[in-house]
Amino acid sequence: MQTLLDLWAAHSSTVAFAMVNALMALSTYAVLSTGVLSFTTVVFAAVGGFLSAQLVAKLGMPLAIAFPLAAVGGGLAAAMVAGAFLKLETHWMALASLALVLITRVVALNAPVLTGGVNGLVIPRRVSLGELTVVLVLVALVFYRLSRSWYGLAARAVREDPAVASTMGISPYRVQFIAFLISGVVGGLAGAALAFTLQFISPETYFIGIAFTMIASTVLGGSFHWFGSIIGAAIFTALPVAMQAVVPAFEDVAKGIALLVIMIFLPRGLIDPRAAGLRRAARARIAAESNNA
Amino acid sequence: MQLFLEQTINGVALGSLYALFGIGFGLVFATLGILNAAHGTYASWAAIVAYYALDWYGAPFPVAAAAGVIAGGTIAVVVDQIAFQPLRNRGTGLLGALITSIAFWIILDSLAGQATEHQALAFPATSYPTRMLELGAMRVPIMQVIVITSLVVCATGIYLLIQKTLVGAAMRAVGWNSVAAALGGVNSRIVILLTAFLAGATSGLAGVLAGVTTSNVSFTLGEGLMLKGFAAVVVGGFEDVRGTAVAGIMLGVIEVSAAQYLSTSFRDGITYTLLLLFLMLRPRGLFGSTNFLRA
Repeated sequence: MQTLLDLWAAHSSTVAFAMVNALMALSTYAVLSTGVLSFTTVVFAAVGGFLSAQLVAKLGMPLAIAFPLAAVGGGLAAAMVAGAFLKLETHWMALASLALVLITRVVALNAPVLTGGVNGLVIPRRVSLGELTVVLVLVALVFYRLSRSWYGLAARAVREDPAVASTMGISPYRVQFIAFLISGVVGGLAGAALAFTLQFISPETYFIGIAFTMIASTVLGGSFHWFGSIIGAAIFTALPVAMQAVVPAFEDVAKGIALLVIMIFLPRGLIDPRAAGLRRAARARIAAESNNA
Repeated sequence: MQLFLEQTINGVALGSLYALFGIGFGLVFATLGILNAAHGTYASWAAIVAYYALDWYGAPFPVAAAAGVIAGGTIAVVVDQIAFQPLRNRGTGLLGALITSIAFWIILDSLAGQATEHQALAFPATSYPTRMLELGAMRVPIMQVIVITSLVVCATGIYLLIQKTLVGAAMRAVGWNSVAAALGGVNSRIVILLTAFLAGATSGLAGVLAGVTTSNVSFTLGEGLMLKGFAAVVVGGFEDVRGTAVAGIMLGVIEVSAAQYLSTSFRDGITYTLLLLFLMLRPRGLFGSTNFLRA
């Protein structure tokens, strides 16, 4: 029992970061599931993070109010981004969203009143594991419901082929706009969760590094099912910790190689509804054949 | 007036580095359809290889620089064959290659950090040309002349290669649609290898030259070039080498004059505001056609 408690004490922060990253990954999944490759999750996270940090530090608001406001802030930012970006073609959208991440850092650096500038912000309060779990479960529940709704079906159709989807009466623009809004709300929440887990944020916190790891964990886990994002984030967070125990000098290299191998052999990610469906069909066929024999 | 001219040349030299790097990055994006997150590390590694060629083997500067450039191209080919080739026939699009390039970015960045022992190395001042060129009243470091000449030569060469030769036509065909290009008799495998090498070598040259002029050989070198080279590609339009070259020089001049006449804190701000404006108003870049909108 004692060893279990020690293990928990050593790794509870890893679990907390895995949950924060899962929120980020879900935000990326929200747009990716409609066929939009965008790094803007980081931008929404920055809005949510700085907003909630200031609300708590300056105005003394409780987390229960700061988190929803962070979500609203992220959503508003997403509405603006979507309005401007959805006109662009896929490749340009990817570039534009990456550029927006760079711009966000410069803006954050030059607005010290809001963000603390170069010095960053120290956050007096820490979010507990329990609170994080509640947020993540609520968000996951929303994604579960969405995946089985009209919207989930429309999103899959738009991802597979926007032209076909629009002949079926689905407006790709509308579906992708909604996707951006969801991404913004979840991204804002994730940014706030990251701020209150790290307890220190600066413009460097919400930058390229996190943008790349988010998209990597989403695709690693499987970008065709919302649960993939959670699995991917968990693996991507736990992998460096595990590697540190085995090959301390090369933990990052090992992380990169693991990502590479998984992507080459399972390009659709770890959780893949299509592969699961094919396996089920194969089992059913074998069962039918053995019945006939 | 003299200060203005000197600062302009400084800006052009700085911008030439951005442009040179951006040409490589844009080439991969336009021809191979890969948003390559690992591209910055090619530049870092080229500079590191050039540094050790000088430091360990006492190679003269041109040889060391050539070693760096070839290393950049070779790494690009290796990364392409390991990370991108297996995904080509699976239709994972932009996304799959992006993820494997992120994997290589992590690997190469971390290895580069270890190769330089997490310090910023600098080429010894005696190892590269440091003479000043007298142009009337102005004194221009010969390195800046080399940088600007490199950009002019590379940009013109690659532009002519892509637009005027058969190889270039094959590259454009693969970039447009590799299946159709193969039906037309293009060996896309070789075109891909060639493009990857060319892109890696160009960005490697940018890395070596930036390592000399900024006295910084480390894994941060590539990251800095990547961010600004990326801006040059977006402003210039990734489908056109000319646009990248002009946009890169423009960014360099704007940066230097903003630092000189306004304040250093505005430097990056102005670059990225310009980037945002271009994305909103002219999303296909300086030379891009505007009549191509998303369905």
